[in-house]
Parts: sequence; structure tokens; C-alpha cells
Amino acid sequence: MHTDSLAISAEHDQVRPARRPGHARAGTASAGVVVVLLALAGLVWSPAALANLQEALGLVLFAVATNLLLGYGGLVSFAQAAFYGIGAYGIAIGWLHGQLPLWLGAAAGIAASAALAVVVGAISLRTRRLYFALLTLAFTQLFFVIADNQTGFTNGATGIFGAMVPTWLTEPQGGYYFTLGVVVVVTLAYYLIAVSPFGLTLKAIRENRERAEALGVNVFRHQLAAFVISAVGCAIAGCLFAIYSQSASPDLLSWTNSGEPIFMAVLGGMNTFLGPVAGAFVYFYAHLYLTEHISDWQLVLGLLLLVIVLFKPSGLAGIAADLSRAAAWLRGRAGGRA
Amino acid sequence: MHAVILDVAGTLSAAANLFVVAAGLTLVFGAMRIINMAHGSFYMYGAFTVTTVLGVSAGWRFWVALLAGAAVAAVAGLTVEVTVIRRLYDAEHLTQLLATYAVLLIFADVGQRIWGSGYRAVTPPAVLASGISVAGVQVPRYELFVIGVGVLVGLALWVMLARTRFGWLLRAAVEDPESVATGGTNLARLRTGVFVLGAFLAGLGGSLTAPLQSIAPGMDASIIVSVFIVVTIGGLGSVAGAAIGALLIGLAQTLGAEFFASWAASLIYLIMIVVLAIRPWGLLGVPER
Repeated sequence: MHTDSLAISAEHDQVRPARRPGHARAGTASAGVVVVLLALAGLVWSPAALANLQEALGLVLFAVATNLLLGYGGLVSFAQAAFYGIGAYGIAIGWLHGQLPLWLGAAAGIAASAALAVVVGAISLRTRRLYFALLTLAFTQLFFVIADNQTGFTNGATGIFGAMVPTWLTEPQGGYYFTLGVVVVVTLAYYLIAVSPFGLTLKAIRENRERAEALGVNVFRHQLAAFVISAVGCAIAGCLFAIYSQSASPDLLSWTNSGEPIFMAVLGGMNTFLGPVAGAFVYFYAHLYLTEHISDWQLVLGLLLLVIVLFKPSGLAGIAADLSRAAAWLRGRAGGRA
Repeated sequence: MHAVILDVAGTLSAAANLFVVAAGLTLVFGAMRIINMAHGSFYMYGAFTVTTVLGVSAGWRFWVALLAGAAVAAVAGLTVEVTVIRRLYDAEHLTQLLATYAVLLIFADVGQRIWGSGYRAVTPPAVLASGISVAGVQVPRYELFVIGVGVLVGLALWVMLARTRFGWLLRAAVEDPESVATGGTNLARLRTGVFVLGAFLAGLGGSLTAPLQSIAPGMDASIIVSVFIVVTIGGLGSVAGAAIGALLIGLAQTLGAEFFASWAASLIYLIMIVVLAIRPWGLLGVPER
């Protein structure tokens, strides 16, 4: 489906990527620096700090995968938690019922997510806007209820706990570097998709669906492909969660859990590729700090979300752009005086 | 026969309760194109207010508590409209969902500060506590009362929308807000009025629920899912659609619990998926561009 869509959009020369502007090059450079710093952190940070960072990295992938739909596709899906949860359950159920090795369980979970995404996406994408958001919410709740009720298969509300992961992955550095490697590779893949003709076509559909249709773009197939690609990333993030926590429980599939990557993407700036990455880190550590030190953390989180949505919808990326513009203006003034 | 009468009463009262809450949400969406997650908070505040007014004793105070629950929700609605919702007209639905979800989070913590994090329960007033004989079957009076309130709310909304100047202005304001404003109507006040009415209905629904289930934090997030399903099945913005959606969901809950217990909870989501697969804009909704 994916390569097929690429072929379709490649026919339109006007959607080819333009030369990359300066701030995109700055983004690539800072992303490289962050990856190097993260790799170094594995050598010097304490096991407890690494465990937190490992969890944060999983959320980065969750946010990046979600933002392909949200930021690039303009589609608000509440089904992301279902794919995330199914990824985690692939490992947990494979271990519980089949003594499957981790890799097979993970592959099964990711494949199941992708297959379900085809069905969920094909039905949901026939609806528009708010109906789409609410229909994906219904699907997520459906999968949540199944995970919660089918006790024989999923252990029900208790969830599945146990030594489902090889020992080397449970050691702080082993687990951390494995997670870092997976997140960097998959995030890079999402970046390449986002800047490909396919990613640009998605943006074109978001901006003006009728016009994209008139240009001969098959809107439904592009959106469905994006839905499935996004689901695969969410499922991989879910696998990383199962590796980190050695567990899977129905809460992973609850609709409020679908809200989290959306929040991270909006916090960081959903109209940029790296915004959700920053948003995930900030959200994770803010959440960690607030739940430890403040009993009313939902209140603070809600106020933060409200302020961003109402007053700074471009998120942290928007603030960063403002700052760099301000710096350039100051430099220009200093230069003019000299 | 016995079981059937009880099932019918149970279905209708569950549907009536859902309808009262859903009508408020769909009314606001129909008049203002605003989707409001904090509707669940208004519902929860209504229920908790009833427990505060009543303590655990029933009696004449129940009627006061019922109205107090709705009134507290209406005041909460007024606050939210003035501070947040006003900035959301013409905003993307994502912005609306996120902003009102933020309001839901804030109300959840404020609510825990006021009412604590434990469970609370109240009993219906003595007048409505017993059963009443219908064809030889004892049907709980409180269920019949809830059905009555649901029917009254439905009738009142129909009269308001179809027969009053307020209703005409509302419908006109959706089609062409500028002309309505040019005609001398205070559009901002009209919208505030609708939003407060929606919050009032959410609070009334919560008050009605109070004697039927235990009241606890988290009921805000769970009711909003049920209500979203009801209004989406019916078609966003359609009050009659909300009534049909509520009946379908009430029926699914009652029959599902009786016949396929382990799949009962899945049934309402399956109904929504099937309805939208066939009619992507809901039963009585209008296709979007």
C-alpha cells in the first residue's frame, strides 16, 4: 500500500520536496547532538535515571508515530493507544500462552496492530473530522473492553506480569541502548516518510482535501497508508513499554492514553517533525516531577495544556522559532550599529 | 412477562438518564459547533453536589439537591464559557477537544479537593424508594421518575427549539451568525445562554444518576465516552438523534447484561461502529462537507 501511494504521488512534480531551509538544517544538527548526548548518558547516568530515560524514549516514538497522522495528516485519532497496547500485549501474550521468544511476540503484536489498523482505518476514514475522532475513540474502547474482559486470554484487569524479556534487556544499560537504537532508527524512518512525496501529499490533503482530489490524489488510500504506518510505530513503542516494564495491562488501551501522545505533539509543536520529540521529553519529566511533588498534578497539567492550546498553539517549536527570530533581530541590530 | 416489564423500565430509565446528559452536549454542538469534553465534569459536579446537600439522609431535601446539582453545574458552565469556550468559536475541533479536555483535568482535581477521592452514595427519597405495581410487577418508582424527567426534558427542548424566539435565533445563529448579530441580537449572550443550558442539563443528568450508582472521581471521563457515543450515533447536533442514540445504548446495556454478559460492555461500541460504517454522519446528522 505504501510504495503504491508513493508511486501515485510521485507523478506530481509540484509535491517534490523543496530545498531545505536553514532552520531544518539546524534541526538536523541539533537532533544529531541530542542522539550523541543520549548515547553518552548511557555511560555516565545512574541506573535509576537511565530507567526513566528509557521510558521517555518509548514515549518519544509514540509521539512521533502519532504525529504523522496528527501533524502531517491533520487527523485526530484516539485509536493510537489501542495499537500501542496491542504491541505490548503481543510480547506479553506470546510469552504467557506460547513461551514465544521476545522477537516473535513483538513481531506478532506489530503485525496484529497493522492488520487491525487496516480495518479500523478503512471504516473510520469514511467519516470526517469529529466523527473520525469519535469513531476511533469507540474502536479504542472496544479493544480496551476486550482486554479487560477476556480474562482467559489477557488475564483481564490484572494484566500480565512476569519475566517475559531476556535478562540482558532488563539490565539498565542493555535495555537503555536497545531502546535508544530502536527509537533512533524508527524515528529516522518516520522522518524520511514525512519529507517524502508521500508525506508532502499528506500535508496537501490536510490543507485542501478537495484540491488534492482534483489533482488526482487518492485521498482515502494516502490517509489509510498513513494510519497503518502510524499504527506500526505506536505498536513498536508499545513493545518498548513491555520490554521496559515487563508487563501489559488494559490501561494501556484506554482512550485517555491516546490523549497523551496528542498532548506531547501539541506541547512540542505538531507542525514540526522534532516538536513532538521535545514535547515527549518535557511531558515525561514534567509529569514525573509533578506526580512526585504536587498532589494536584492534573490541575497543573490541565492549566499548562490550556495555556498552550489557547495562547501558543505552535508549542515549544513555536517558542524556539520566536527566540531564534529575536536572536537574529538582535544580531542584525548589533551588526547595523557596527 | 415479569422480566420483560423490568427490562423495559430499566432500558427506558437508563436511556432517559443518558438522554438528559446527551441532549445538553448535542444542543451546544448544534448551536455553536463546540464539542465539549468538560461536559463530563458538569455531570460529575451535579452528582457530587447531590451527595453534599443530602448527606446520606433522604427526604424533601432531595428535590432541593436535584436542582442544586443542576445549578452548580450551570454556574461551572458559565465560568467555563466566559473563560475558555469564547476563545474556541471557529477553532479546529482538535483545539476544542484539547482545551475542554484540559478543563476536564482541572475540574477533576478541584472536585477531589472539594469532595475527596472516595466513593459516595445516596438513596432516593422515601416517596420514590419503593416499587409501584405495573401489571402485577413491582417496578422501582425511581426508574419511572427518571423516565418522566427524560420525557419532560425532551418535550421542553422541542418546544424551545421549534416554538420560541430563543429557539429560532439559535437555529438562525448556526446558519448565519452575522445576520443574527446585525438584527440586534447579542450573539455572545445567546451562546453563553446555550452553553449554560447545556451544562445545566449535564448537572441534572448527574443529579438523577446519584441515587442509582456510587459517585466517585473518574465518572467524568467515563460518562463523556457514553455521551459521545449517544450523540454520534444520533448525529451531532440533533436532539432527536440523541434520544434515539440513548434508547439504542440503553437497550444494548440492559439486554447485553442479560444475554451476553462477557461481551455486554463491547456492545455499545459495536453499535456505534456499525451505525457510522453505514451512515458516516450518524442517524439524523447532516453530511459534512
